[in-house]
Formats: sequence, structure tokens, C-alpha cells
Amino acid sequence: MSHEAIALLLFSGMMLMLLTGQRVFAAIGFVASVATLALWGTGGVEIPFNAAITVMNWYALVTLPLFVLMGYVLAGSGLADDLYRMVHVWSGGLRGGLAIGTIVLMVLVSAINGLSVAGLAIGATIALPAMLQRGYDKLMVTGVIQAGSTLGILIPPSVVLVLYGMIARQPVGHLWLAGILPGLLMATLFVLYVLLRCRLQPHLGPPLPAEERAAIPRREKLVLLRAGLWPLAIFALMIGLFVKGVTSLVESAAVGALAALVVTGLKGRLTLAFLEDCARKTLAVSCMFLWIITAALAFGAVFDGLGAVKAVERFVIGQMHLEPWQVLVLMQLSFLILGTFLDDTAMLVIVAPLYIPLVRKLGFDPIWYGVLYTITCQIAYLTPPFGYNLFLMRAMAPPEIRLTDIYRSVAPFVAIMLVTLLIVGLFPQIALWLPRLVYTR
Amino acid sequence: MPPALRRYLVVVETVNRAVGRVLVWSIFLLMGLLLWASIARTALDAPLVWSVELAQFLLVAYFLLGGGWSLLADAHVRMDLLWARWGGRGRAFADSITALCLLVYLAVMLVGGVGSTHYALSFDQRNYSAWAPPLAPIKIVMVVGLVLMLLQAIAIFLRDLGRLRGWRLPEPPAP
Repeated sequence: MSHEAIALLLFSGMMLMLLTGQRVFAAIGFVASVATLALWGTGGVEIPFNAAITVMNWYALVTLPLFVLMGYVLAGSGLADDLYRMVHVWSGGLRGGLAIGTIVLMVLVSAINGLSVAGLAIGATIALPAMLQRGYDKLMVTGVIQAGSTLGILIPPSVVLVLYGMIARQPVGHLWLAGILPGLLMATLFVLYVLLRCRLQPHLGPPLPAEERAAIPRREKLVLLRAGLWPLAIFALMIGLFVKGVTSLVESAAVGALAALVVTGLKGRLTLAFLEDCARKTLAVSCMFLWIITAALAFGAVFDGLGAVKAVERFVIGQMHLEPWQVLVLMQLSFLILGTFLDDTAMLVIVAPLYIPLVRKLGFDPIWYGVLYTITCQIAYLTPPFGYNLFLMRAMAPPEIRLTDIYRSVAPFVAIMLVTLLIVGLFPQIALWLPRLVYTR
Repeated sequence: MPPALRRYLVVVETVNRAVGRVLVWSIFLLMGLLLWASIARTALDAPLVWSVELAQFLLVAYFLLGGGWSLLADAHVRMDLLWARWGGRGRAFADSITALCLLVYLAVMLVGGVGSTHYALSFDQRNYSAWAPPLAPIKIVMVVGLVLMLLQAIAIFLRDLGRLRGWRLPEPPAP
């Protein structure tokens, strides 16, 4: 059997095992283990274990549990309640104003958190009941929360960009800065969509009644604005220290986690029970991610051993005679299709090593490509059958929101993400301007 | 269910739960270590040579020793497009077959880990760094984690089997 055929067999084997509903890490690790033994006999038996050693040596991965901890602490700190009250009184008067406020809330939460889990937890527990209670359409509500929370991986700090940076060997600082403007662009497009949709169909997002708004004195409105300073301060502390080179990437994650704990303490919510609850969720989520990465690395090592990188390169550059941009579009399309079925972390660890050399060879900027990849991941989070946000939403949403609602609600937002992908694809400057500005001074 | 299997379930699940309960706190240890390292380097001008490697060791111990607990806590995602529709018995049936995936993967990890640890012990393998820590201790911790995980995977298999056979299963401990 040719190496290409074996590679294809492995990939389809993995997909098949995933469909059985076995844990993702076990399905991937199993195919990798069987393949190493079949291909290289007992000589290959240490490959899966060595993947765990690789995880150990990827120092930047230490940020992962710290960002998870930070997210859970902030979600329970009471900070999010204050932020929600702020956006509530400031934008509630508009048609669809609470949905717009939720998007602003998600941007702020994304700036202090590296994954989408915390944003979704905050959205589902605070914004969702408030909006449903005020007669917002449930599809609008769930769509906004799910889409908004994915901004967590595009706006720094971002764990996905840390992973990408390790695989592509690109500086995380550049990647993080490159994510800011595309993230804000996407958030703006979300806001425009909500505005337009609620103007055409006012029943989807009724404005707060005038008497409810009049009941809040101007002074109090201004006081509420102070809540917005907290995330900005944490962001400035964490990202500022890192970009200035005072703390390393991993240390800045620890600074962020500490800041989250301090804020919680100031709000008087720092109890031993709360700490233990956060720590337990952190261990659970970290184990899930790190085991998927470990299994995917073993799978990737087998792929690498088969010479899959060279095969893809030969095939795409040598045989298909495509323009560089056509290759780029094909790569993104394949990510989008894979992303509906596959966990994005596994996708990154297995597929990115095949694509990144190609990106370089074709003369594209790997920093810019990291942003494109992250937007694709955001879409993957939302597209059924496999999407993290779909899982989480299902677990957290109240029973009146059915699974079909959750699936249907994401459609317009996925379309907006595709538009953002296209815009950033056509105008790389949106991503590259900020890192160049900061790092060339 | 046969008393020996019942005892196995109770012992393995109690041990993994206890390990997890202690291990969850180590995230604060990791945080403290990194904060200390950054203060020592910037404010005290006395950089620690061992902080990076120690943080790496902590991370790998965190998710390997926590592996058994994470299985107990059912923390791992599945692609549940079909699985979610199969109902309790159907899922137990599917899982009792695909448990093979988990068992084979973990067994291969364990065999590899034992080999790698044996090498580290025989040749006093060390990191090429200023601190140059021996690698055998962390590898032994990793192997212990894998053993705990494999034991928990067998416990999960027994529970699925029990569900299919209609055994009376002991209440699992709250993770």
C-alpha cells in the first residue's frame, strides 16, 4: 500500500471511531496507537508516550490551565453581573439593545479570557435569562451569546493562537495583536446585523420601556460605567506586561489569573468553596484539552512518519497547478468542512503541520494565516454536528430552548463570520497593521 | 454484580477521587511558582534557573495524574451526533465495545512510559539546561498517572457491562 493510501486510511479510521461516540481523545489515540504498532512494530510503541513528553516541552501550553482558571474565576466573580448591568442601562433603550449590549459584554469578557467557555457561561447565566424575560426572540438570544463568546479565541489573550504559534513557530505577541482588529470588526458586524434585523422585525428585540429607563438616574448610569474599567485594567496589565517584555507569555497568564482572584476578593466572593469549585472545573477542562492534544500529537507523529507533509505539498503545488489564492481558499474550505466534524484542537495539531509549510512556500504571512485559521475555528465551534459552543449551550440553556433552536440560531452569525473571513482574507492589513505598528517601534 | 468486581469499582473510584481532590489545588501552586519567578527576575534581579522546567513538570503531572479523575468526572467530549440518540442501554452497549479504544490507547501509553522511564533510570537521563534535572522522577509520576487512568478505564468498562447485564452497581462517588 502506498503511503498516501495509508494516510487516507488512518484519517477515515479516525473519523469512523469518532462517530461511535467514544471520547474524542480515546478515538484519536487508539487509531494512532494501532497505526504505530502496525507500521513500525514494537519499535513504535513509545510514540504515543513521547507525545506526552512533547506536550511537556511545549512551555506555552502552561498558559492553558491558567487561562481556564482565570475564565472560571471571572465568570463567578460578580464582575460580569456589573458589566451586564452597565450595558443594560446604556444600550437597553435601542431596538435589540440588550443583544447589542451582550455583544459588547462578550468583547470585554474576551479581552480577559482565552477561551470561549467563560463567555458562554456568563452569557447563558446572566444575559440569556434577562433577555428572554424582556421578550427577546430566543433564536436571537442564543445566537448572539454563542457567536459572541467565540470572540474569546480571536481577541487576545487567545489559547487557540498560542497553540497555532507553537505549531507555526510564530511569536504569540504578534499573533495576539493581529487578532484585535479582526475581532472588533467581527463584533461590529454582529452589532450591525442585530440593529438591522431588529429594525426590520422589532418583535425580535423590543427596547426597554421608557419608564424603566427613566427610573435610573444619570448619576447611577455614570457610576455603572466604572464596571467597564475592570476588564480594561486587567487586559492592560496582562497584555501590557507581556508585549513590553516584562513578563513571559506563561507568566502573564499567571498574572491574569491572580488579577481575576484579586477582583473576586474585592467583590467579597472569594470563599474556599468558590476556589475549590473553580479549581475542579479547571482540572476537568484542562484534562480534556491536554489529552486531546496528546492523542492528536501521536496521530500527527504517525502522519509525519508517513511523509504526509511532503505528499500534500507535492500534490497541491506539483499536480494541481493552482494559483496561491486558490490553494488558500481550498485550505480554508477543508478546515471548515473538517471543523464541523472534528474538534478544533485535534484539527490544529493534525492538519496545521501539513498546511503551514505550504502557506510559507506560497509566500503568505503566517501571522495573517493564524488569524484566518482562528476565524475558521470560531465557525467550527458553532457548526453542528461537533461544536464546543453547541455542547456547552445545550448543557447551560434553559429547557424552553430546544436543540433545533440552538442549531438554527447560529446560521446568520456563521454567515457574518464567513464575511469577516473573506474581508480579512482580502485585506491582510486589518490583521497585520497593529503588530507591525507595535513591534517596529 | 460479583463481589470482587464490586470491590474493584469502589477501591479504584475512591482512589481516583481522592487523587483528584488533592490535585485540583496544584493549579494555585503553578500560578504561585510563575508569579514568584517573574518577581524574582524583574524586581529582585535574581532569575530562577529552575522555574520553567518545574512549571512544565507540574503541567504534565497535572493532566496525567488527573487523567483517572477526569474519566471519573466524565470530563471528556465525545462526538455525540449519533451517540446522544441511542438511549441509556444503547450508549452502554456502544461504550462497552469502544472501551477497547480507551484501553488500547492507555495500555500503549503505559508500555511506552515504562520503557521510557526504564531508559531514564538506566542512563540517568537529564534535561540539557542550566538546572539539568533528572527526568526519571517526572516519568515515574507520568506512569503512575497512566496506571490510575487505565484502572479507571476498566472501572468504566465494568459499569457499562453492569448496565447491560442489569447488575446492581455501587453509587459512584461525586467527583
